[in-house]
Amino acid sequence: MLKRTDYLTKNYGKPDGWKLAAYEAAGGYRSARKALGMSKDAVIDEAKKAHVRGRGGAGFDCGVKWSFMPKESTKPHYLVINADEGEPGTFKDRTIMEQNPHSLIEGCIIGCYAIGAHACYIYVRDELHLSKERLWGAIAEAKAKGHLGARPFGKDYAVEIYVHTGAGAYICGEETALLNSLEGRRGEPRLKPPFPAQYGAFGCPSTVNNVETIAIMPTVFEIGGDAFSKLSELHGINDGGCRLFGVSGHVKNPGIFEAAVGLTLRELIFDLGGGVLDDRAIIGVIPGGSSCPIHKPDEIVDVAGDPRFEPYNGKSVLDLPLGVDTFRGIGSMLGTACAIVLSDAADPVLAYHNVMRFYRHESCGQCTPCREGMGWIERILDKIVAGTGTIEELDQLSDIANSVMGNTICAFGEGAAQPALAFVRRYRKELEDYVHNGGKNQTGTLTT
Amino acid sequence: MPTFKLDEREIPFEKGETIIQAAHRAGIDIPHYCWHPGLSVAANCRMCLVEIEPPPGRPAMMLDVLEWDADAQDYVPQKKPKLQPACQFQAGEGMVVHSEGSKNVKEARRAVQEMLLLNHPVDCPICDQAGECRLQDYWLEHQGSKKRMKDEPVHKPKAVVFGPTIVYDAERCIVCTRCIRFCDEVAGDSVLDLRERGNLNEVVLAPGRELDHDYTLMTEYVCPVGALTAVDFRFKARVWFLRSARTVCVGCATGCNAFLDFDPRDQKVYRHRPRENPDVNKYWMCDEGMLSYSRVHENRVLRAEIDGQTIEFERGLKKAAKLFKSADPDRTAIVLSAQHSNEDNFAMLVLARDYIGSGNVFVNGRPGGDSDEILRDADKNPNARGVVGLCTSAPPAPFKELATALAAGKFTHVLALGSDASDPDEVAAFEDCENLVLLTSHRGPLAAHADALLPACTWAEADGTFVNRTGIAQESERAIFPHGDSLPAWKLIAAFGRALGHSFGWTKLRHVRAAMAPDPGAEVAADAEAQSGAPA
Ligand SMILES: Cc1cc2nc3c(=O)[nH]c(=O)nc-3n(C[C@H](O)[C@H](O)[C@H](O)COP(=O)(O)O)c2cc1C
Ligand code: SF4
Ligand code: SF4
Ligand code: FES
Repeated sequence: MLKRTDYLTKNYGKPDGWKLAAYEAAGGYRSARKALGMSKDAVIDEAKKAHVRGRGGAGFDCGVKWSFMPKESTKPHYLVINADEGEPGTFKDRTIMEQNPHSLIEGCIIGCYAIGAHACYIYVRDELHLSKERLWGAIAEAKAKGHLGARPFGKDYAVEIYVHTGAGAYICGEETALLNSLEGRRGEPRLKPPFPAQYGAFGCPSTVNNVETIAIMPTVFEIGGDAFSKLSELHGINDGGCRLFGVSGHVKNPGIFEAAVGLTLRELIFDLGGGVLDDRAIIGVIPGGSSCPIHKPDEIVDVAGDPRFEPYNGKSVLDLPLGVDTFRGIGSMLGTACAIVLSDAADPVLAYHNVMRFYRHESCGQCTPCREGMGWIERILDKIVAGTGTIEELDQLSDIANSVMGNTICAFGEGAAQPALAFVRRYRKELEDYVHNGGKNQTGTLTT
Repeated sequence: MPTFKLDEREIPFEKGETIIQAAHRAGIDIPHYCWHPGLSVAANCRMCLVEIEPPPGRPAMMLDVLEWDADAQDYVPQKKPKLQPACQFQAGEGMVVHSEGSKNVKEARRAVQEMLLLNHPVDCPICDQAGECRLQDYWLEHQGSKKRMKDEPVHKPKAVVFGPTIVYDAERCIVCTRCIRFCDEVAGDSVLDLRERGNLNEVVLAPGRELDHDYTLMTEYVCPVGALTAVDFRFKARVWFLRSARTVCVGCATGCNAFLDFDPRDQKVYRHRPRENPDVNKYWMCDEGMLSYSRVHENRVLRAEIDGQTIEFERGLKKAAKLFKSADPDRTAIVLSAQHSNEDNFAMLVLARDYIGSGNVFVNGRPGGDSDEILRDADKNPNARGVVGLCTSAPPAPFKELATALAAGKFTHVLALGSDASDPDEVAAFEDCENLVLLTSHRGPLAAHADALLPACTWAEADGTFVNRTGIAQESERAIFPHGDSLPAWKLIAAFGRALGHSFGWTKLRHVRAAMAPDPGAEVAADAEAQSGAPA
């Protein structure tokens, strides 16, 4: 169900909307002040009630994650904000940092307090120069106002926030690779366990959260965790509140839209995205970043034996509410809730090639299956697209992806195997056309 | 001890141990490339994946995969269980682990193996590692099929000189990071790292550096494939022609356990490499020790020499003995060697004590050198402790004292094991010694002043016992047969004794050992100290 909200986006596009004055005029920094007056456990409980599912892609409940931090420890704790936003098709965190940076800063104060941290690192993808500038500006403003620093709001709980520039590798968005990179090491995912809550930044207990996960926290504390969660149609299955949805690709009005959880792909594409370019038919939708499986619009939800799916069974996947567990239930993934739409003007084989080239380029190369598998898949697709691939090689694609799936150190493996399998499963005929006829029955383009 | 089940076998484990560690101890090899018992866990090769049953009542974690059904011309969705790396996953009480017994595991290993060889040049015919390469072994055990990718593999730098000892081939590298971890964690010199990412990854040197620490050859040894080759060994031998003797390194007092690899056809040694011993050298050896094998063939004394002239062995022996016939025992010095085994030194002591009747016992050896906190000892002799342990009545006097005594004209006769000079500055004192007989394997600094040289075996040509710095007595096995006319030193000493007219009956090593047994000096002391673990 489409229900627009504007907690994060109300100042988007306004002159000086990213400045402290605009933020405070809209009620900003009251939540952090309030949270710092509560006990830490109460803050975590309030966050839990909100059912904010991690906005970085994995969908882990934020309050629960905070509660994993050790209560007693002799080491400093850190809050680390994942602002690496590298997932193709995903561009929501950047809008927050550029247009509403204070929501992130305020959220960081709340988060630091909840997990017992006095320092927070925001790891920003290198290319996002405006984001960094706005964050630096916001930190300076908040400090000057006394919201941040030794005594935020006069309370005896020091919080410092540092913006750290990444060096532009997708893998540095994986939370443990991010920690390595933050420490000045090679951006390679770490083995888990130990998890960041035990052994995170600089070997100290740390929580890594996505930008949006943290930026929405002031809203949670403003309206109350429970009330926040109830904004969502999926409140009953612990997927609460509102979030930023993105839509890009072949839609008339691509962009980032804030809405209550419960929105469907159809609403995102047609009501918010303005419909498909040239009013063409959709041949595929990737629900939330390129690591998610692509779906065809004629796919029907059919999850037997799970009462949560009763209302949706028999409906098109486009009419399934975009939730962490709804999409997991159909063997898909919500990811970052930034959908990519392909109209029938686009060539799915080229889209497949494009996506898999990305994963070959970005694999850190630690694990054998990911390192070699991605290169192998890319090669086969290079040949198929060039019209020199064979059916034998086409058959190998699923085999290779199967061998990567689940067999790697980090979730990149699954994130790359998923699209590899989803495309070949749904566009086998088109791929065969490339093998047999050089793709002459395909559009041969990605643009409309 | 708690146990877990691995393919129907109960495996005991200690708390905190990983599945692979416990299996390794139980003698079961879970295939692995990146795991090394002496290094941190990297879990990057994914060869050791195993299937672990979920705890009772909990569902297994399943993953969605696809199978192509050629008959139906469609994909069939399938589920497979999530596998875990045995090198990283900790064993738990009652855990049920499937390795060889799981078809999922078999398929995963086959896939890893195929992927590791995907861009590999497969240049085994010209690769030194061939014959002891995990890629070859595991191909047979876990893959056995042709690789399916027919295209040109990725090309990367080859024959990259990493330093004076090591050459790197990035195309053969499987990026297991063992070499990097060895340098970081054991050698304490982070000179290697990775560059690039994905399938362009390669090992590189730190900027401005060479691989030149004291343990560089270990990087070649830990490399499970042929990516790192040792300059010293490159293209010299095919390993399947080599045999290995279980030796003790004679490079220093640490006494690292080693394998001495030799070719039985030409009776040459080609390589010295570590043999695991948790109490001595763990898994490692230093470059100096690994290269010390070359002494077996260098600068040898292989024939008897009298006054610098080569002579037939028996005649040489007689002439040398003649020099000693009328020697005054009080003016005769006997020199033991910390380079030689207990057996050799014991024979020398028996000759001195029981036959010659001289109590003027000295000890010699190679001069001291560099040391570190890892393995290398400043005492470059393998058996200084053993020699001292054998001299039960009085400790042997140092070499320098012998030089001083010689300069003062105290001795007319010197019978020495070896031709080293533990104090090279003192060699001149031997110039005027009239009757200097050296039973020696090498042409050391004293050799130039010798009146008689009789050829002794190196440690590679004889069995022997060496007592290391912590007092552990270790046996070293003969690799090759004695070269030239050389004899094991104890045998040479016995022959010299007989030439002197004594009834020195030993002809077998067991005769020497039997004679040593009632007076086990060194070993007893050694064991006691080994238990206390106190370094010497
Ligand atoms: C390959 C890979 C790339 C990722 N990139 C990002 C990213 O750019 N931004 C992000 O927030 N999370 C990313 N994640 C997810 C993070 O690992 C982590 O789950 C997330 O930052 C946790 O924050 P959340 O719980 O607030 O969502 C990535 C994960 C993987 C496996
Ligand atoms: S799965 Fe891929 S990206 Fe993740 S650690 Fe392994 S090689 Fe690196
Ligand atoms: S050189 Fe050998 S040890 Fe080093 S990473 Fe490559 S394969 Fe592993
Ligand atoms: S041995 Fe390499 S992953 Fe376990």
